[in-house]
Amino acid sequence: MDFLERFLKRLGFMVLTMVAMSMLIFFLVEIMPGDVAQTILGQAATEESVAALRESMGLDDPIHVRYLRWAGGFVQGDLGQSIYMRGVEISSIFWRRVGHSMLLAFTAFIFYVPVSILMGILAGVKAGKTADSVISFVGLATMALPEFVSGIILITIFSVYLEIFPIASLIPIGQTIWGNLNILVLPALSITIVMFGYVSRMQRSSMIGVMSSDYIRAATLKGMPRRYVIFRHALKNALLPTITIIGMNMGWLFGGLIVVETLFGFPGLGSLTLSAIKTRDIPLIEACVLFITFIFVFSTFITDMAYAFLNPKIRFKQGEV
Amino acid sequence: MKNKQKTMPVLEINNLNVEYKTLTDRIVAVKDISLKVGRKEALGIIGESGCGKSTLTYAIVDYLPKNGSRSGEVIFMGENLLEKSPKEMESYRGNRIAMVYQNPYSSLNPSLTIGFQLEEVTMFHQKFSRSKAREAAIETLTDLYMGDAAGIIERYPHQISGGMQQRVCIAMALLCKPDLMILDEPTTALDVTTEAVILDIIGELKEKYNMSLIYISHDIGVVNKVADRIAVMYRGEVVETSSQEAIFNDPLHPYTRALISCMPRAGVVKETVRLNTIPGYVTRRSAAETGCPFVPRCDKKRPGCEDRYGFTERKSGHFTACDRAYAEDVPERPVQIKKKEVKLPDNGPAPEHRTILQLDKIYRYFGPPGKRIRAVDGVDLTLDRNSVLGVVGESGCGKSTIGNTVGGLLRPTSGKIIFDGTDISVSWRKRSPETLREIQLIFQNPGRSLNPSFTLEAIIGRPMKKLLGINSGEERKKRIVDILKKVDLGEEYLYRRPRQLSGGEMQRAAVARAFSISPNLLICDEPTSALDASVQASVLNLLVDLQKESGASYIFISHDLNVINYLSDMIMVMYLGRICEYGEKHEVVGSPCHPYTEALLSAVPDVDPSIKKEAIRLEGSPPDPTIKIKGCPFAGRCHRKVGTVCDTTPPPKVDFSETHFSYCHIKPAKIEKKVMQAGEVMRTQEI
Ligand code: SF4
Ligand code: SF4
Repeated sequence: MDFLERFLKRLGFMVLTMVAMSMLIFFLVEIMPGDVAQTILGQAATEESVAALRESMGLDDPIHVRYLRWAGGFVQGDLGQSIYMRGVEISSIFWRRVGHSMLLAFTAFIFYVPVSILMGILAGVKAGKTADSVISFVGLATMALPEFVSGIILITIFSVYLEIFPIASLIPIGQTIWGNLNILVLPALSITIVMFGYVSRMQRSSMIGVMSSDYIRAATLKGMPRRYVIFRHALKNALLPTITIIGMNMGWLFGGLIVVETLFGFPGLGSLTLSAIKTRDIPLIEACVLFITFIFVFSTFITDMAYAFLNPKIRFKQGEV
Repeated sequence: MKNKQKTMPVLEINNLNVEYKTLTDRIVAVKDISLKVGRKEALGIIGESGCGKSTLTYAIVDYLPKNGSRSGEVIFMGENLLEKSPKEMESYRGNRIAMVYQNPYSSLNPSLTIGFQLEEVTMFHQKFSRSKAREAAIETLTDLYMGDAAGIIERYPHQISGGMQQRVCIAMALLCKPDLMILDEPTTALDVTTEAVILDIIGELKEKYNMSLIYISHDIGVVNKVADRIAVMYRGEVVETSSQEAIFNDPLHPYTRALISCMPRAGVVKETVRLNTIPGYVTRRSAAETGCPFVPRCDKKRPGCEDRYGFTERKSGHFTACDRAYAEDVPERPVQIKKKEVKLPDNGPAPEHRTILQLDKIYRYFGPPGKRIRAVDGVDLTLDRNSVLGVVGESGCGKSTIGNTVGGLLRPTSGKIIFDGTDISVSWRKRSPETLREIQLIFQNPGRSLNPSFTLEAIIGRPMKKLLGINSGEERKKRIVDILKKVDLGEEYLYRRPRQLSGGEMQRAAVARAFSISPNLLICDEPTSALDASVQASVLNLLVDLQKESGASYIFISHDLNVINYLSDMIMVMYLGRICEYGEKHEVVGSPCHPYTEALLSAVPDVDPSIKKEAIRLEGSPPDPTIKIKGCPFAGRCHRKVGTVCDTTPPPKVDFSETHFSYCHIKPAKIEKKVMQAGEVMRTQEI
């Protein structure tokens, strides 16, 4: 089976990438200037106490031993302890943040994917007409607009004037995100504004390509009605490139939303990463970066499989007739 | 009423015009065409590309681009299609007027099963249920000799061969039993043996389904096989229509005559005939232009041709747009075309018997072990100096791989290539500059091998500098101008870039570059396949001239046996990476000894409709090239198969003369007796 073979190959590839990336991250952090023990104890600490801490943290072990200990901990779900928040288990905050991020990603996803694809199809089918010009213009304009600008505009309209949504996406202490789902709307909208241009333009151009293909001509001259030709014959083929684009952006949607999260004060992975970097909380940086990498690799994997599944040329091998 | 329907033509086109608006101009694509197609009649339309053949058919079914507009009348079964709304047209398309196109692969939706694509036709037009539609699909596929129809409809287009795909497309067109079927170059993308089968089937189905046909092709030979009447189109006009025989035997219009006499065909060989050419090429026609469309290229033109002239019936049923050329010169019968062809003085040096190239057990595999494609599977070959070897075979037979291997673009998996005494079985990087200079290649698509950002001077000058070591710019320029003149491109072409050239000019430039450094071996891989007939003729003439003059050897690769027959001294027929037959041209074409050669020869469509030959129907398609074949590669499709020995034992080499051999289990004595009828035809036609 071709499909299974592809699946296993990609799976193997994914694992390899993760191992390579984890090494890279570990060693990069390793060569960063500054001594961890010194950082923890502060400049005033004595030589002895630094040495003692190094000893207790195992920092004097050879590098590969430390890597294996670190990576092994990860695999078992032990992310280590935060340096900045002394002794706090990283996993206790980390997974909650991941959950928030996922929820945001999901919300943004259901906001922007249908809209962009539909508009892209419309623009592609009506290429050259007014509808296309309007959609393409909006797409270009929103692509050019940085998130912090569109975010501020959104806040001004929805929070300041209309007062429908909160200005900051904070979760009051003692509550969970489930009681505060309205904080998701504005960040998700601002992501939608960023993504709309990319996805709708992609969809538009692939739609135009497909609509001018020989098999669409053949379907039309078979007497099939236009609407049917578009949805039954063109759409599936025209979606393939868009799926790739969307899939490739999944990683960014999960972990790359530093600007958006910071702007709205949303407690997600992006803002966690940022604060980890600001406080030089090395174990936390490592955890965040590694997890974001994982999301990227994993979403590429899923995209690839979805693509293979939708494309019969990959799903079914060339047959002999 | 019923009676009237019988006599009424299925399609009647009256004064149809199609125009395209561009920003600056109005382009006339179809001009004032009137045609009739009767019930069960097959109308063939021929002409070079850009003559408006396809536009005409799209105008019939109202499928023109947005900037196109039509006027006139298209009366289909008594109703003017130009007055129908787009919605009404839907009920005609695919139902009463069906179309089949050139490229079956791209005409089928890659992500829908064949069954789905067939079923929807009757479900829409006949309101069939899915299961009934499925039955109809299977039935129609069976009509087209598709054995496993029920299995085929479960598949996706990429899972079946090109010939099968085209049958599916034809089945799709047949599903609603249309009154008119329009076929636009339906076999052009197919191999010649597949083409023969499809043409056969089309003829049969026309009778069975009581249909009328419009068959479009650039190839008169193909049209001859199906059409009752032929219309010749040139720059948007029909310049001549008549019965199929009269178009060939008694063409009246200068364009028709020129077109026929520039096509290589049975019996036309370089030794005795120089192909006719038509100067210039097909240009676009602006609305402002009046008069005869052929004026710029016509050798019969005279004052007054630029004015409008009429489409008149010169003989019964024979209409032509040119009433000048032959009316006065030759009132009775026009000059026989065959006599018009210039005989070449036979003073070229006879092929010297000294080997220039030797291939010793060349194997070339692609892909990983297990899925290995045996593109070239053990080929031995010697090529003499000053001779042209034609390599012919269907797609996937390994002919291009041989060319690329000798040319150094590919390294052989194993085996030796000896060129002029040195072993060159390495890639071009490791070849000496001398060898690089001596072996040159030209390809089907010169646009891809000429750097688009350079001028011709730079393109031709570079190898001169690098491989001939001519450093003086003056000297180079002089030589470049010389060679450009030789290929009929004047000095003014020096500073043009490839995209400013037409297809024919580009191929000339590629030839010029190859010859600028006086090679000893030129590998031509389908150099004229993408060109129109008139342009092909001029490139073939050029190649013949340059070969005579330079004494270089050619390996000329083509799927077109007529072209191979015209140009070669020796012919090698390949099938699935192996040699079937090899010999001098007259031996292979005149008395073929391998069943595959025989089938190939029988399948070649002929320009001359008096050559009636029965194409041998080869079943199936070549086997999976990844499977190692024990016996004869042709065994699965061979019509003369001897027995199981063909499946189990590799066929032995059988010599018929010093130069002629084949690989086959048939006993030589038997071959002599069985008159291989296809060869007979080619032989008797030789002039
Ligand atoms: S009308 Fe004149 S230019 Fe046109 S084909 Fe006849 S002779 Fe040639
Ligand atoms: S060896 Fe057998 S199968 Fe092959 S060509 Fe000869 S007769 Fe046909």
